[in-house]
Amino acid sequence: MLGTFVITWRETIEAALIVGILLTYLDKIGQSSQFRLVFWGVAWAVVAAAAFAGLSTYAAAFFQDTGQEIFAAAILGLATVVLTHMVVWMHHNAREIKGGLQHKAKLAIAKRQLWALAVLAFVGVFREGVETVLFLWGLFLQGGAGQSVGLAVTGGFLGVGVGVLMTWAFFKGFGHLDLKPFFRVSGVILIFMAAGMLATGFGHLIAAGLVPGIVEPLWDTSWLLRERSFVGSLAAGIFGYRSHPSLVEAGSYLLYFPVVFGVLEIQRRRHAA
Amino acid sequence: MRNMTRRMGFCAAGALALALGTSAMAADVEERTLTIKDHAFSPAEVRVKAHTKTKLIVTNQDAAAEEFESPSLNREKMIRPGQSATILLPPLKPGRYEFYGEFHPETARGAVIAE
Repeated sequence: MLGTFVITWRETIEAALIVGILLTYLDKIGQSSQFRLVFWGVAWAVVAAAAFAGLSTYAAAFFQDTGQEIFAAAILGLATVVLTHMVVWMHHNAREIKGGLQHKAKLAIAKRQLWALAVLAFVGVFREGVETVLFLWGLFLQGGAGQSVGLAVTGGFLGVGVGVLMTWAFFKGFGHLDLKPFFRVSGVILIFMAAGMLATGFGHLIAAGLVPGIVEPLWDTSWLLRERSFVGSLAAGIFGYRSHPSLVEAGSYLLYFPVVFGVLEIQRRRHAA
Repeated sequence: MRNMTRRMGFCAAGALALALGTSAMAADVEERTLTIKDHAFSPAEVRVKAHTKTKLIVTNQDAAAEEFESPSLNREKMIRPGQSATILLPPLKPGRYEFYGEFHPETARGAVIAE
């Protein structure tokens, strides 16, 4: 029971972090009327993840080869682009609200941003959702083991529930931050998440044999932090931590930072001019 | 006419290159098979040639999905019930590389031994 609890709890926290940032952000800029967009993204993601997990049983050929990796890489690539867009947009808004004097400055949201919100909520949940659905479904199917299955399934659903509650509580506290520190902290979290998604996407392409890893592994930091440890699994899920990354994964991770800061700098100059 | 011979020549060269390519690939990649049954891997230890690419074919005979996971190999792959999945391993230094099933980590454990 504890094992299944930990797995679904972790997947939920990973997905809920993005959703939490989006909701808190909308609230901060006085756009809580747009919450429904985020919830729509989440609802669609849950449905899509269940449908995908179900259908994939019938697409065996696609999944046993490299289809799984290519699909995952495509999702992660999309997620990286949308997250970057979000970071740039948030950064822009943060400067519009000068000095953080207004706690609830009402900012206009363009249609494009609304789409980005819904897509980001969708991708954030879908990516963890497929795995969670397959996992829970597998528990259901393990009939015959009797009561332990019931306990395991209960543990799985409790994990989801507690994950949502914990993230909610976290944002209740985090949400009281002033605008400026909130923008800064969530911006940093999102940038690290995006870098992790980009590198994980490359990791899938390397695993599929489509991109060479060049040096595999580049280093081994398992002495410092193991993915199997509690902190390590969260770091892996949220920020894309790998103890044995290839050169291409580590390189894409590190290169993401100058790229995103370059984009922010270009944007800053354009507005200064 | 000359054009056609040239074209045929290209075709032949292409076919030769393809044949050489595939045979070279076949020689460079070793294949190993693994089975998941009752949430355990068999064999639990897979011996592979060091410094050689390996194609690990994992078949899941259980009714539940399993996720093959190995931080030291830097690989993870979901294997759906009743299906097989191919995991490509890079050339490895001699050593022991542990893997496990994320959904059943107590029972599903194993290791790739490169020698």
